[in-house]
Amino acid sequence: MFKTLSLLMVCAAAALAGTARNLVPPNVEALLQRSDMARNGWPSYSVRVKILNFEDGKQDEEHLYQVSQKGAEKTHVEFLSPREKGQYLLMLGDDMWIYLPDTSRPVRITPLERLTGNASNGDVARTHYAIDYNAVYLRTEKVGATPCYVLELSAKRKGSTYHRIEYWLSVATGLPVKAEFYLTSGKHIKSATFDAYQQVDGKTLLRRMTIYDCIRKTSHSVMEYSGFAPRKFPDKLFQQGRLDRF
Amino acid sequence: MFPYCIVAIGALFYGISAAPTDDAAPEGPPNETRYALALTDEAALAAGLRTPGADKGNALLLQPSFTYRAGDRWIVSTSLAGLAHTESGTGEQVRVREAYFGLSEGDFDFTIGKRLLRWGTGYAFTATGVLDPPRAATDPSDRLSLNEGREMAKVDWVHDGQDVTVAWASAGVLGQSRTGMYDTTAVRYNVLVKGFDTSVIAAHDGGDANIGGGNFTRVFGDALELHGEFAWRQGAAVLAGGKYTIPSGVTFIGEFYTPPNTAYFRPAQMPASAGRQHYAYAGVSKARLRELPGWKEWNVSVALVENLDDRSHIAVIDGGRLIGDHFYAYTHIQAPAGKRGRSEYGAISYSALVSLGVRFQL
Repeated sequence: MFKTLSLLMVCAAAALAGTARNLVPPNVEALLQRSDMARNGWPSYSVRVKILNFEDGKQDEEHLYQVSQKGAEKTHVEFLSPREKGQYLLMLGDDMWIYLPDTSRPVRITPLERLTGNASNGDVARTHYAIDYNAVYLRTEKVGATPCYVLELSAKRKGSTYHRIEYWLSVATGLPVKAEFYLTSGKHIKSATFDAYQQVDGKTLLRRMTIYDCIRKTSHSVMEYSGFAPRKFPDKLFQQGRLDRF
Repeated sequence: MFPYCIVAIGALFYGISAAPTDDAAPEGPPNETRYALALTDEAALAAGLRTPGADKGNALLLQPSFTYRAGDRWIVSTSLAGLAHTESGTGEQVRVREAYFGLSEGDFDFTIGKRLLRWGTGYAFTATGVLDPPRAATDPSDRLSLNEGREMAKVDWVHDGQDVTVAWASAGVLGQSRTGMYDTTAVRYNVLVKGFDTSVIAAHDGGDANIGGGNFTRVFGDALELHGEFAWRQGAAVLAGGKYTIPSGVTFIGEFYTPPNTAYFRPAQMPASAGRQHYAYAGVSKARLRELPGWKEWNVSVALVENLDDRSHIAVIDGGRLIGDHFYAYTHIQAPAGKRGRSEYGAISYSALVSLGVRFQL
């Protein structure tokens, strides 16, 4: 009986060790870079992002953005919803400006000013996590039925939207499944689920994600991505003085 | 209006002959049309009138704008404001805020037409805004969008993060000249260096002196932005300011400004004998009071502008509520205080002005 039990325990330990060995990511940085491809399919591209805000389960607002991205450092966002028409956001590395039609000039904004709303400007425009964060492998666990690597991302530059992120990536595909976002104070401010993907030119790209407000728990936002297309943008388009001339 | 139509039609004709082919479509942004329409009705009520006049008024504003961009090649844009106002009488007015054609060729951007430019980095004041519309410290964001640009020809050279602008702006070829305004030739060099968004500006106009100066903005850490301006024209004008945002999204803005009391910098009502003036601006604002249950759609801001020399000041309170995706209802209150007839804000003809408005945007 004792021998049988010992054998079973050894087999179980071997199986667990084998499983763990298979699930430990070989290269956390490479994994993070691969996951970034889900929102950045090309080095230079444009995409439409629609944000639907929900309060108590009912949709109460809709925002539409045209995002133009060149590399990891240059992002131009045009605001297209009725109340925000004529506004533009520019991110050049850690530096950010917003152009408001009322002021007719690019206004410098701080990282904290990007954090308004369930889905912030940073959620729309800052999607190269491999550039903005250092990653550490924490553990492997299932989200629903999907085995995931759990990474801890810590901000490595001023322009990072969040201080810390816990990031769940599918073991099978490397695609993002879930994320939790934290401020410098340690406060858990938002959670996100990556709900649906689409195939564009043979690439698997994000189609829909949901961001949950962890402070006002009755509030969440759905971000829908459409019209992903590679584009070549001259550098001069990302100049703070010509924000409205993109 | 007619000359602006010529500019627009000329731009469209140019676009038909120079439109990029389908093969070039992935190069740069796609061809796009943008339009917007805003309809605003605002009623104003003045309390404590010190001079005879209407204590009630209404303004109806219709503001269409249209832009067509042929990729990053050329752009034609117009922004109009139709204003019907009623006080003791009724009047109508159409303002052309902007109407311009822009062409990009390599590192160069060419612009001709009426264009709103703001080179100053100050929020409530500016020393270096040589082509800016007049800045009102009590309404720095031009809340009714009534500011007009200047008719100008402008060339920008943009290369490797540097922007050199040469502009000639008319005192009013097609529109009406403002009193004291001259044709202006201005040059600006703008560059981002180690986080400092820096501009050096020189200008000459038909007045009796040149103007030179510079400005900067810089963000420090997560929450603090500092900016400053320095200009010289028959005396130094200096502005220093900052903006601080706390994690809840409340933003504080403070500015100090001191212009020389010369014809160029002097406010309209200021006597020449008043000497150099010193101003302070302090403002607190919060967009979307989402932390308060039921107040997510509300915006609020409070500001105080003070003339530090005559100790007069004016308080400005703005509050508004978003209604759906298209409507915004708001109130704007101004309350000046100071020695009557002997101070800048004490000379304002009312003790309080309350405006209530509704805006529809499409």
